Amino acid sequence: MTDAMGIFDIMLALVLPWLGWRLLASPNLFRAVVLFISLGLLMSLAWVRLHAPDVALAEAAIGAGLTGALFLSALRRLERLRDSERRLDYAEKREEEQNLPPEKRRKSKPVAYVLALFLLSVFLLLLGGALLKTPVAPGRLGPAVAGQMGQSGVQSRVTAVLLNFRGYDTLLEVMVLFLAALGVWSLTRVRQTPQEKVPGPVLATLVRLLVPLMITVAGYLVWIGSSRAGGAFQGGAVLAAAGVLLLLANVTVVRQIPSTLLRWALVLGPLLFLLSAVACMSIGGNLLEYPRQSAGSWILLIESATAVSIGVTLAALYAGGRPHEPAAREAIVDKSADTKVKNGEGA
Amino acid sequence: MPDTPFWAVCLVVVPLFFAIICFVRSSLVTFLGPLAAWLNALAGLGMTLSFVHSGPLRYAIGGWQAPLGINFSIDGLSVLLVAMTAVTGLSVSMYAKGYFSLRIGSAGEINRHGHQRAYFWPVWLLLWAALNGLFLSADLFNIYVTLEIIGLAAVVLTALSGKPAARLAAMRYLLVSLLGSCCYLFGVALLYRSYGILDMTALSRLVSPAPLLWVSLALLTTGLLLKTALFPLHFWLPPAHANALAPVSAILSGLVVKASFYLILRLWGEVFAQVLPFAAYVLLGVLGCGAVLWGAVQALLQKRLKMLIAYSTVAQLGYLFIALPLIRLDPGPSAREAVILLIMAHACAKSAMFMAAGSIFLKAGHDRIDDLDGIKEVLPVSSFAFVLAGVSLMGFPPSGGFLGKWLLLGVSLASGQWWWGIMLVIGSLLAAGYVYRIACHLLVFKASFSSRRGSIPPVMEWPAVLLAVLAMILGLLAGYPLGLLEAGCPVPIHACLEVMP
Repeated sequence: MTDAMGIFDIMLALVLPWLGWRLLASPNLFRAVVLFISLGLLMSLAWVRLHAPDVALAEAAIGAGLTGALFLSALRRLERLRDSERRLDYAEKREEEQNLPPEKRRKSKPVAYVLALFLLSVFLLLLGGALLKTPVAPGRLGPAVAGQMGQSGVQSRVTAVLLNFRGYDTLLEVMVLFLAALGVWSLTRVRQTPQEKVPGPVLATLVRLLVPLMITVAGYLVWIGSSRAGGAFQGGAVLAAAGVLLLLANVTVVRQIPSTLLRWALVLGPLLFLLSAVACMSIGGNLLEYPRQSAGSWILLIESATAVSIGVTLAALYAGGRPHEPAAREAIVDKSADTKVKNGEGA
Repeated sequence: MPDTPFWAVCLVVVPLFFAIICFVRSSLVTFLGPLAAWLNALAGLGMTLSFVHSGPLRYAIGGWQAPLGINFSIDGLSVLLVAMTAVTGLSVSMYAKGYFSLRIGSAGEINRHGHQRAYFWPVWLLLWAALNGLFLSADLFNIYVTLEIIGLAAVVLTALSGKPAARLAAMRYLLVSLLGSCCYLFGVALLYRSYGILDMTALSRLVSPAPLLWVSLALLTTGLLLKTALFPLHFWLPPAHANALAPVSAILSGLVVKASFYLILRLWGEVFAQVLPFAAYVLLGVLGCGAVLWGAVQALLQKRLKMLIAYSTVAQLGYLFIALPLIRLDPGPSAREAVILLIMAHACAKSAMFMAAGSIFLKAGHDRIDDLDGIKEVLPVSSFAFVLAGVSLMGFPPSGGFLGKWLLLGVSLASGQWWWGIMLVIGSLLAAGYVYRIACHLLVFKASFSSRRGSIPPVMEWPAVLLAVLAMILGLLAGYPLGLLEAGCPVPIHACLEVMP
């Protein structure tokens, strides 16, 4: 059994860099995305072999699944841009490049490759040498975590570290996700899908069957996170996958979600996390110092809200832009200013 | 009166809370954003006052002491930078309020720039929270998370302008910033492998020269240099800073690059100061010299005002790195004090310059330096602010820049390494060159200036003046901030020692 596993590990270690290389070298973007997804799946296998099931779950759900979906949707947008007339110059340039004789195309490529490979191998050699020469530190935090597990309110050490011992990190990480959604919304509006585009019967059935199941799985992952592998990020990722499915199927309900509701759903997790962090202070502790007896419930509450927000955020990233809003909300007219003069800096 | 930990928590929690509320209730953003800025400034003030009263301390978040949990480490350096962020941030916020009202009110289509204001405030408040969090945190991984927020928020703000040039610059900024974060994270992971600990104070007691330490330090420093835009890694900075909206440029140049430099100062000046060889400091110093020369020469060649200011940032960041070998050489605290003064003076002066440049841009409709003759007739206050900030950059007494350079010059002469001093003087002369170049155009008399826009509201002009004056008199007031720095001797952490073998 161990031999078989050893062979499997060696194969994994060989296949992963090879896949990565193929991905980077692929001239075709679609192919590269497909390779990226398979790389993510194999990476999650590697995490399983490294006894990190939490990371494996997150890697499979977010690294392979959602990032792949995001890449595919970005690719579709790129192609649409390339086809449209506005980007004619770009298309012409590409065509020009393709018409060149093969020996003239991108002359600098081999030099750059060789240089990059050289630098990378020098770095890897130095790193490898240093790693071999320097001993691994004695585990300081491992025993510390084990010693305090009884106080953490949960049984899973990963959850204890993420939500209790280093909860402040997670609070800020949740803010990073919120910021990512803000960034995408600030850049562009969501693309309006035509109303009449109805999903085919297969997709419709699939959505009807899968979405409730996925929501259940997400809830289960959040719940089980307190004792085993799972938690807010994994549950949120599954929720997001459900959201992506709904978006793909162009279900009417999803299209008609009012933007206020969407905004509240996006901030539910960050806001609740922040408010509970402060609430701990009003009870008498430090920031994020849950009362020891009820720490488990606090963590579960925070995780549930965060999972919902993570799911909505990731699905919103996939939708790719801020929702259309009634124009009146954004317009605040300053009457005193001169309205005749047109645009300033951002023209 | 609330104590230091209360204010420290406020500095992170309040901007985060208001960022969320600004996003949910985007129609109230004009009111909530400035309110949050005032509250932040108040927290910064409260923090400084209570620090003066009670001195440095550590605060265990979640009640978990250092090796297990994340701690705030509040010392003189953190407090000074938090206060600097509060003052600069408040001024920029006031300016931004006027800026967006003016643009939204007068743009051809009413709704055209509406989303810029709606997204500026939440993103800027998140950025502010992360800056405060970075300055207060003692944990290397937690600092990575704050760096991530800072980088991402800075990119979003850069792209907010919507111009193709700005979006391109933002994309490049994003890639550079992510590469920097990756390097930093890799370095932190290697440090964790060799020492099993993430708290900086605890780490500084454990480190000893080892091959892996060099690799991880190289990675950490490379990542931070990319984010600080030290020559020759500065290529992304000028387009990003020059093409962003005016308040955003002020934030990016005044505050964001300082965050990663602060971390370099912490790592090279405190945590790893005992083990790093002097040659490494010299290398950074030489790169700093390169930045001073290259940035100033490029600034002299620019045709656009904002581009010139952005290259001036590249040059001014060079001084901070020239100070690093001097900090190492200096037996006393004066080199360290000098670098803090330079950071604060530059934050004030550069933000003031970008804000004034933004007003000039709005008024004139362009920022071509050659066509700005006589703008002082229509924008006297902003022109004054611009030139005053420029004089502070040149290092005229009694500005903070002057005192900082003077102290550094003293250290370089005292330590026998006079060539650093020569670089400081050359840099100041070049700075005088490019400031003079603009001043000539701004202050020349010309009967009529064809402006494209009506009046610029006072709320857009006076914050720039305030910051410029502050930069100018910082040399006179230097005793107060430097006194804080003195008070901030490292805090003993007994808790760390319990788990030490």
